[in-house]
Amino acid sequence: MQSAPTDTMVSAIRTYVRETFLYARPDVALADEGSLLQQGVIDSMGVVELVEFLQGTFGIHVEDDEITEDNLGTIGAIARYVSRKRNGGGRP
Amino acid sequence: MCGIAGILRRHPVGVSPDALLRMAGTMRHRGPDGYGLYAGPRAGLAHTRLSIIDLSGGAQPIGNEDGRYLIVYNGEVYNYIELREELESRGHRFRTRSDTEVLVHGYEEWGDGLPARLNGQFAFAILDRRAHGLFLARDRFGVRPLFYAWRNGDFFFASEVKALFASGEVTPEPDPVGLDQVFTFWAAMPPRTVFRDVLSLEPGCLARVQDGRCDVRRYWEPEFPEAREEDPGAVECLDGLLESSVRLRLRADVPVGGYLSGGLDSTITCALAAAASPFDLRTFSVAFDDPAFDESAHQRLVAQALGSRHAVQQIGAHEIAGVFPDVVAHTETPLVRTGPAPLYLLSRVTRDHGIKVVLTGEGADELFLGYDLFKEAAVRLFCLRQPQSRWRPLLFDRLYHHLPGKSRGGEFWRRFFLTAGGPADPLFSHLPRFLLTGRIKEFYGAGMREALEGVDAMEGLRGALPPGFSRWSALNRAAYLELVTLLSPYLLSSQGDRMGLAHSVEGRFPYLDHRLFEFTAALPTRSKLRGLREKDILRRWAAARLRLPAGDRPKQPYRAPDVPAFFGASEPAYVADALSAEALGRAGVFDSRSVEGLTRRCRAGLATGFRESQAMIAVLSTQLWHDTFMQRPGSVAALRLDQADVVIRDRDEILDPSGVQDAVGAN
Repeated sequence: MQSAPTDTMVSAIRTYVRETFLYARPDVALADEGSLLQQGVIDSMGVVELVEFLQGTFGIHVEDDEITEDNLGTIGAIARYVSRKRNGGGRP
Repeated sequence: MCGIAGILRRHPVGVSPDALLRMAGTMRHRGPDGYGLYAGPRAGLAHTRLSIIDLSGGAQPIGNEDGRYLIVYNGEVYNYIELREELESRGHRFRTRSDTEVLVHGYEEWGDGLPARLNGQFAFAILDRRAHGLFLARDRFGVRPLFYAWRNGDFFFASEVKALFASGEVTPEPDPVGLDQVFTFWAAMPPRTVFRDVLSLEPGCLARVQDGRCDVRRYWEPEFPEAREEDPGAVECLDGLLESSVRLRLRADVPVGGYLSGGLDSTITCALAAAASPFDLRTFSVAFDDPAFDESAHQRLVAQALGSRHAVQQIGAHEIAGVFPDVVAHTETPLVRTGPAPLYLLSRVTRDHGIKVVLTGEGADELFLGYDLFKEAAVRLFCLRQPQSRWRPLLFDRLYHHLPGKSRGGEFWRRFFLTAGGPADPLFSHLPRFLLTGRIKEFYGAGMREALEGVDAMEGLRGALPPGFSRWSALNRAAYLELVTLLSPYLLSSQGDRMGLAHSVEGRFPYLDHRLFEFTAALPTRSKLRGLREKDILRRWAAARLRLPAGDRPKQPYRAPDVPAFFGASEPAYVADALSAEALGRAGVFDSRSVEGLTRRCRAGLATGFRESQAMIAVLSTQLWHDTFMQRPGSVAALRLDQADVVIRDRDEILDPSGVQDAVGAN
């Protein structure tokens, strides 16, 4: 069974991404399904930070092979992935 | 090695010796062993000397037989002995043993054809006192600097930009386009500099200055006539060239030492020097407190194997932060890495050990495709040929071994390279680096954004590529871009000339002998990058010739601690000042609110990636640069005329300095 991410979760992720990666680009529109990679918001170094944030904030453990664009490529994808993990799921 | 400067007036209103002495005074570090000048009604020349060849007879300016031509010269011409023999056979008479005099007679004999005959690293100016013109030239790779500027129809030149400003007639102003190039390529692209209306003579170029015009002409350009197959005698040919290049670069009347990184390139130069030098070899290296950057254990092994007397400069984070303002004052440009700082400290310890000439391994990575960037370009091409392949991108995980394992490898890592652009773009090989560096621009302030409206640094570079570029293979195009964007304007300048001569140490670069470059440029690229094995032919040569610990060790890129050096318990006082909203507003390059966010993350230890660490170094160095050159220029003490080694007035004779005041005053 898959539970949908809560608004609070999506909002926390969006705030984290803005404050961490976009504090010098406040004008960038950040749609929930906009590609973080293609917009140049997150690179491979940034992903390491993001993973640490997700693990620390949501109490999940991110496996190396789960660091994919399907799981972490957009704010919406991150939220869905976190929800799956918290419900015992994981890799897509 | 030396500092040179001069002024050419459009009208005969005179050049003040005081201005020349101020200009020379800013470059005393380049030449602490003496200085001289020429002051006349139409022109002036100044020279500060680091004596290396002909210790007693090499004072400058120096003239030809009839005094028509006067030269000031910074550099070394290694084949001066052979050129002198040729010139003597054509009737030229020499007064000294110096390579300088070879240039002035060579100019009489060959004119514009002179620079192409020179094997060396040089920047010089020859004044024609009869025609009131200047002839300038700079070496092929731009080892030695030469800047110039026009003001009110008068021409000013110098080895360092600060000497132009010390004339009192050239005023410093930032050039937003030059700064934007730094934040794209790591350095401004010659002829542009980071100062408005101050130009750099491009490497491999000569210039004639006369009647208010400066005509620049290229006498040498990198060319890549790549062969299909490696010649069976290639390794033997490489052997001869390496040996000859090092032997020529040991020509000096002082001991020549070596910088030893522990890698293959400097191990080779030091090993060849140890075998050929009449002196016991002295070697020098940097060791870092942080084991992530440190290679000292391997350096010691190599030094033991070479039998050299080895000295180490130990470097912690606070040393880098401590010298960074001085480093920026010497580089005269904002930086995106702290890499120059350890080399500044290294030249100091070298000088403290009494050595003023060192061989280094610079250039080998460009000639033999040593950098991971070349492998990265090869893997990107390989992947893009079969975009559906799932295993080809796994090759990216074999690059950049020095980066932390958590951030290297994985899908995001691979996608970064695959989305950076396609092979139809002439800048294909360098797009990942340029795009990553370009993220510094996210921190620009409104004024900078406005000044750069319609400016695209990468488009400018695309438009400046040579006609033959499109005919070269992808890896040779990459090698060319590396030469012109990084080696010449950054590595040889900010990490080379400026850091060495900050402490009066001259670097010599055996791999940048143009004969060696031309040999490697004609090799098939797979002789250099075979699969993902870099410097293949050099490794084959080393395996046959040297029995040293460098062996087949993977390449370790040179890196230095960055952001943590500037924050924490030992944060230097200048950091908070430089990053204040007021100082940021004065410089007008970066946005204070964005920098405030960056600073907060740096202080919290969160800015660990390239994007933010390069931005912080860029901001800090820009602030220091602006403060040094725009806020408080002209603070250098002038040299004294009566202490000059040589002073020449407008007549032909060389005067005793004690009697020169009246003579110059009479002009």
